[in-house]
Amino acid sequence: MISLSNRQMTVPSIRAIAGAGLLTVIAAISPTQAADDVAVPPPVADAAPAHEQVERDFTLKILPLLKDKCQGCHGADQEDVKGEFSVMGLADLLRGGESEEPAVVPGKPDEGTLLSAIAWEGMEMPPKENDRLTQQQVDLFRQWIKQGAPWPDEQTQQRYRDEERMQVETADGLIVTTSGGTSQQWTDRRYQPEDLWAWGKLKSKSECLPVDVADQSEAIDYFVSRALDAAGLQGSPAASPVALLRRATFDLTGLPPTPAEIDSFTTAWQQDPEAAWSATIDRLLSSPRYGEHWGRHWLDISRYADTGGMSNDYERSNMWRYRDYVIRSFNNDKPYNEFIVEQIAGDELADESVRARSGGDEAVVKQTQLDGDYTPQEAESLVATGFLRLGPWDNAMIEADEARQIYLDDLVNITGQTFLSTTMRCCKCHDHKFDPIPTRDYYRMYSAFATTHMAERKVPFLADESRDRFDQGRELVKKMLDFAVAEKNKLVEKRETAARKWFEEHNLPYKNEQQRKDLPDEEKPERHVGLSYVEQGQLKVREQDEWIWQRRLERYQPMAQSVYNAEFGGMAWNGARKLRINPQKKKDQTLVNHILIGGALTAFGDQVVPGVLSAVSLPVSSGADDPYLLTDAVQGRRLGLARWIADPQNAIAIRSIVNRVWQYHFGVGIAANANNFGAKGAKPSHPDLLDYLSSDFVENGWTIKRLHRVIMMSDAYRRSTTPVAVEKLAEVDPDNRLLSHFPRRRLTAEELRDSVLALTGELQPSQGGVPIRPEINMEVALQPRMIQFSLAPSYQPSPQIEQRNQRTIYAYHVRGMADPFTELFNQPNPNESCELRESASVTPQVFTLLNSDMMTDRSIAMALRLQKESEELPRQIDRAFRLTFGRAATESELENLGRYVSEMVDYHQTVDPKPVVYPVSITRSLVEEFSGNVFEYEEILPVFEHYQQDKKAADVSPQTRALADMCLLLWNTNEFMYVD
Amino acid sequence: MHASRRSFLYGLGATLGSVALTDLLASENAVATGPLSPKQPMLPAKAKNVIMLFMEGGPGQMDTFDPKPELTRLHKSESKLTAGQETGFKFFVGSPFGFKHAGDNGIEMCDQWEHLADPYVANELCNYRGCQAESLNHPEALFHMNTGSRLGGDPALGAWATYGLGTENQNLPGYVVMTELALPQGGPTNWSNGFLPPYYQGTRLRPEGSPILDLAPQGFKSREHQRRALDELARLNQAHLESLSVADQKLSARMESYELAFRMQTEVPGVIDLSSENQDTLDMYGLDQSETETFGRQCLMARRLVESGVRFVQIFSGGWDSHDYLERGHSARIKSVDKPIAALIRDLKQRGMLEDTLVVWTGEFGRTPDNNKRGGVYSLGRGHNNMAMTMLMAGGGVKPGVVGATDELGSTATECVHPIRDFHVTLLKLLGLDDNKLTYFHGGRYKQLSQFGGELIPELIA
Repeated sequence: MISLSNRQMTVPSIRAIAGAGLLTVIAAISPTQAADDVAVPPPVADAAPAHEQVERDFTLKILPLLKDKCQGCHGADQEDVKGEFSVMGLADLLRGGESEEPAVVPGKPDEGTLLSAIAWEGMEMPPKENDRLTQQQVDLFRQWIKQGAPWPDEQTQQRYRDEERMQVETADGLIVTTSGGTSQQWTDRRYQPEDLWAWGKLKSKSECLPVDVADQSEAIDYFVSRALDAAGLQGSPAASPVALLRRATFDLTGLPPTPAEIDSFTTAWQQDPEAAWSATIDRLLSSPRYGEHWGRHWLDISRYADTGGMSNDYERSNMWRYRDYVIRSFNNDKPYNEFIVEQIAGDELADESVRARSGGDEAVVKQTQLDGDYTPQEAESLVATGFLRLGPWDNAMIEADEARQIYLDDLVNITGQTFLSTTMRCCKCHDHKFDPIPTRDYYRMYSAFATTHMAERKVPFLADESRDRFDQGRELVKKMLDFAVAEKNKLVEKRETAARKWFEEHNLPYKNEQQRKDLPDEEKPERHVGLSYVEQGQLKVREQDEWIWQRRLERYQPMAQSVYNAEFGGMAWNGARKLRINPQKKKDQTLVNHILIGGALTAFGDQVVPGVLSAVSLPVSSGADDPYLLTDAVQGRRLGLARWIADPQNAIAIRSIVNRVWQYHFGVGIAANANNFGAKGAKPSHPDLLDYLSSDFVENGWTIKRLHRVIMMSDAYRRSTTPVAVEKLAEVDPDNRLLSHFPRRRLTAEELRDSVLALTGELQPSQGGVPIRPEINMEVALQPRMIQFSLAPSYQPSPQIEQRNQRTIYAYHVRGMADPFTELFNQPNPNESCELRESASVTPQVFTLLNSDMMTDRSIAMALRLQKESEELPRQIDRAFRLTFGRAATESELENLGRYVSEMVDYHQTVDPKPVVYPVSITRSLVEEFSGNVFEYEEILPVFEHYQQDKKAADVSPQTRALADMCLLLWNTNEFMYVD
Repeated sequence: MHASRRSFLYGLGATLGSVALTDLLASENAVATGPLSPKQPMLPAKAKNVIMLFMEGGPGQMDTFDPKPELTRLHKSESKLTAGQETGFKFFVGSPFGFKHAGDNGIEMCDQWEHLADPYVANELCNYRGCQAESLNHPEALFHMNTGSRLGGDPALGAWATYGLGTENQNLPGYVVMTELALPQGGPTNWSNGFLPPYYQGTRLRPEGSPILDLAPQGFKSREHQRRALDELARLNQAHLESLSVADQKLSARMESYELAFRMQTEVPGVIDLSSENQDTLDMYGLDQSETETFGRQCLMARRLVESGVRFVQIFSGGWDSHDYLERGHSARIKSVDKPIAALIRDLKQRGMLEDTLVVWTGEFGRTPDNNKRGGVYSLGRGHNNMAMTMLMAGGGVKPGVVGATDELGSTATECVHPIRDFHVTLLKLLGLDDNKLTYFHGGRYKQLSQFGGELIPELIA
């Protein structure tokens, strides 16, 4: 039978060369738990009689497999035994199932049905790819049957297990000490040392590096060369200076180098290549464009969007302040440990600071939370906690306790993925199947967040936060709001007039909608009296619009998407649209957390208190009974957790960020799954290098800019993209994990849009602030989009060109409606943390690059720029090449494209493009819930009343359009789309 | 134009001998071995294609295919049921519709279904009453039915199907989605490729304007203009490729995508252009009547897409969320889909396509037998119900007749009860795919449509 999975793709091709030296590298990182946990000297197992050894193997290796992989369907539930086959005891195996053939014939592995079934020959058991036994495990069964299939009694089994537990390290792997699983079997299970690589302590630099090197960059080259040598591979020579400059400029700023930058770099390079390179890195790192580019990486991980997603996709009006915080933090090279603590517990930092300046007066702390009277430093910390507000969330139609659970689960998961490169989601329901994370630790962390409540909080604006567009933006929102309210009032008026009439006719006193709500049916008019079905639908739309625009006005208020601590908090059923500090505690109510078995809110396991991941072996406080517990006070849980993550001894957290930075330079991390360092994530290709850089990172103040420098000054970073010894490489290292050459990469969505804007000269510098709204595909912009009860308002682009043409990171990100352009070029869906972007070439990208308004408009802008700078066609073409590719056009390119442009001039003289007209209002239609009929209503688009248009085809000459055609071609080339 | 282009390419090719150009030419007629090339099913398949008709909002089982006379008796009396999420005073709501038998296999339907009741069509139907959803909220329930996960972000059914089977026509998307003007709640997440590579994402054919965004060149650029541009672009890319001493598959694949795009520009408008269909067919689908025009057009397009080799087609039709004014709401909704669905099944049957095309009709959940007051008034409608719902299937190896049952009020499924994942497993099985083997390694484990495995519903399979 064929099985379709990407199994092949995920087997690291590096295995092929494991024997050639890499294995030694992996072996060298055997985790330090080994040393920490060893309590008892190695065993004397070989002294035991042979039959005991077989029994022991059965007890310790085979029985757990039967339990984990078979009993679920075959015996655990006596009412429902699949195929009438049980694996609960030897007699069952000897008897077999409904086929009436024995499953096991002792001593005769080739008879009996069990072995072929678990080997997936004939029957395929267990039936799931995930549960499938390895060859090694199948061999264990074969061996056991061959040796007579002994099944010792429970007491003997227990003896073997107790003996085994005393030996921390055996040939079968290591026992990791954790806070303990829900079963003894899980607690005692063994891990392969290589699967634990991320959990152990960092090796010091000298342990990693056996040789003397001049600096850290040379150390990188030592590690990379060592692995290449071991694999018999050769590194490629350095890339050309122009390629290097393009690579570095895109890597650090997400933009192409200008022709002037190329010229000055090549000149400097001729003088002194090293100095030129070093100076360039410094120049790029100090550019404000750096934070805009690297901030975006962080937003991929943390899942930035300006709305909350799900049913209503409510605006998170001030989320932009978090985006600017991230950009600012990268530009200011905020030490990473501070970056961690602020995002997880910035509100508690602010409280601490208020407490200190008010002499410990808790009343002042509480009052300040309500008034928002914070210093700039406190405000900065509060804005940072936007991190805790980035998941998609809405509680409409969801029970309150379930909605709360969704939020807390999200916090545990995102904290694990983002800062610890650990997938926590599995442990919500059970002890982790592969990694040393018991479900207890999941719920300890859950408990660490259990006093955290969402809120939009009053936080004063910072001097660095731009308020430039507030007046203009507020005016538009106000206009939309006023229109919705006016339309609503008209309908309400009409309804109430009819209601008044009804009351008159029935000789009853008039009561308004609220007053008459609880009257019996006979004493009031019908609910929508006086309104036709169309009007009923319209009223609902206007009521929703009022809410929506009301909320968008909050963009201009000094508020931040943040959190606060309380034992219990209150919230309306549609709480997602207005979240304010609202602690609500009933008498006798105490917050207690339990392990939730299977993740079910009602299935209480052991009680838990706040804590951290015990497998990291990093105590929160030494001396306590359980060193992995945090405070269980309402305040301070998250701060404790954050400080534990940001501890210089928290190796996994440090490896996590160093690996990410490496990944964004080289396209793939030293460990290839940046969000999963567990057993099922890819193993590090250069573990010593990762530890070396991690130790160095902490020793030198957690600065990311310094890490960039160290990486970019290495030879490994400066190699050409052209591989040497291609055939050998294809065989030994086809995925280039050993970095014999630099990986070529496609531009990201943001790089593509921002670069094209830069090339045309249209790109505008930004100070951040309320999201800008670039023009997106107009069909999508105006396309109706369902939300609960209504349609979401249309997307109206910013009216001023200067605003639209800012960098893509500043664009408005709506969860329910992605910009089709950025989505197509793989900007990630903000509902999931993205460890690494896709970059596959799919056909719809072609349509967008060739036919979209956005690319067409830019090509016209480019043509106009070229025409402004020169009147001669060959010089225009050459200039376009220099801008786009950073090189001159060749003779044949000048000739071909010169001919092409003149042909296109002929073509464009025969066509007459139509002017583009933007609508100032549109008619919406919606299926009315009450009647099932379609009804219509008007939506206004005031932005287009005074809209600053880009130059369109109809506005320019055939010559310009022809030149634009050529520019568009250049942007469609591989040479432009890829960075070498 | 085409001939000159060929000679142009050959002219280049004479100096190249490069892999890329050979690929470029080969892909014009041969089926490439790309991610979407057709693959053999794992198991003997009954269905090759799927047309899934998604009734967004959740049709009421007791107002469509699952009659509940007891409810009529209890109409407006107080309900103490706990299904659904509504609280406070609740009262039973009898279905406003009468019921009738249709065809010879025990199918029952309300009197609003006129065309579907024709025995020629009704005899093909399988009505499944045992499925249970989980979420009570629209987007999560939509995600669950479409992607197997309530959270959203996992691959959609159609993505898994094209991942498993590829698609027959490389010039069309393998997974096509049609919606009304407004996107359903949750939007494109309902047809996302999730963690599967982006080739498997559903392509939305838009009901108005450009069927695929930016499919056509700008109005002032002709098709010849585009061809000339592509040739010039190919020349630039080819020169760049040659300047590299080592070939790069990524780059040649991307060059190929331009040629594919060019072919798709003809093929897509061709398949959605209904002018080649005769008037009887157009009338049969209800294109001549305003209430059936939209859905009828989409159903007819679905047949044409499947005929052209598209693997999975999904049509969303909204407005089934009748919390109030149930009679008008459901009546209008049924009228808008009755004729088109009947026409689709009839058309597929007449063309011999029904046996390997599975047609599925479902919502994201069912509705409650009772309702609560709205604005203080008895409102005749129903709430969301995750314990009972109703589905229709036809063709593609399903067994005609009624499978499963709900209790006498339609509040919960009682016979042949299965969660959505089992329905998914069964659907894959009909396509010759084994949910346990159709996996993709992501986030540390092999993931599958059913999340953690499910059971087959053998009663549904002929």
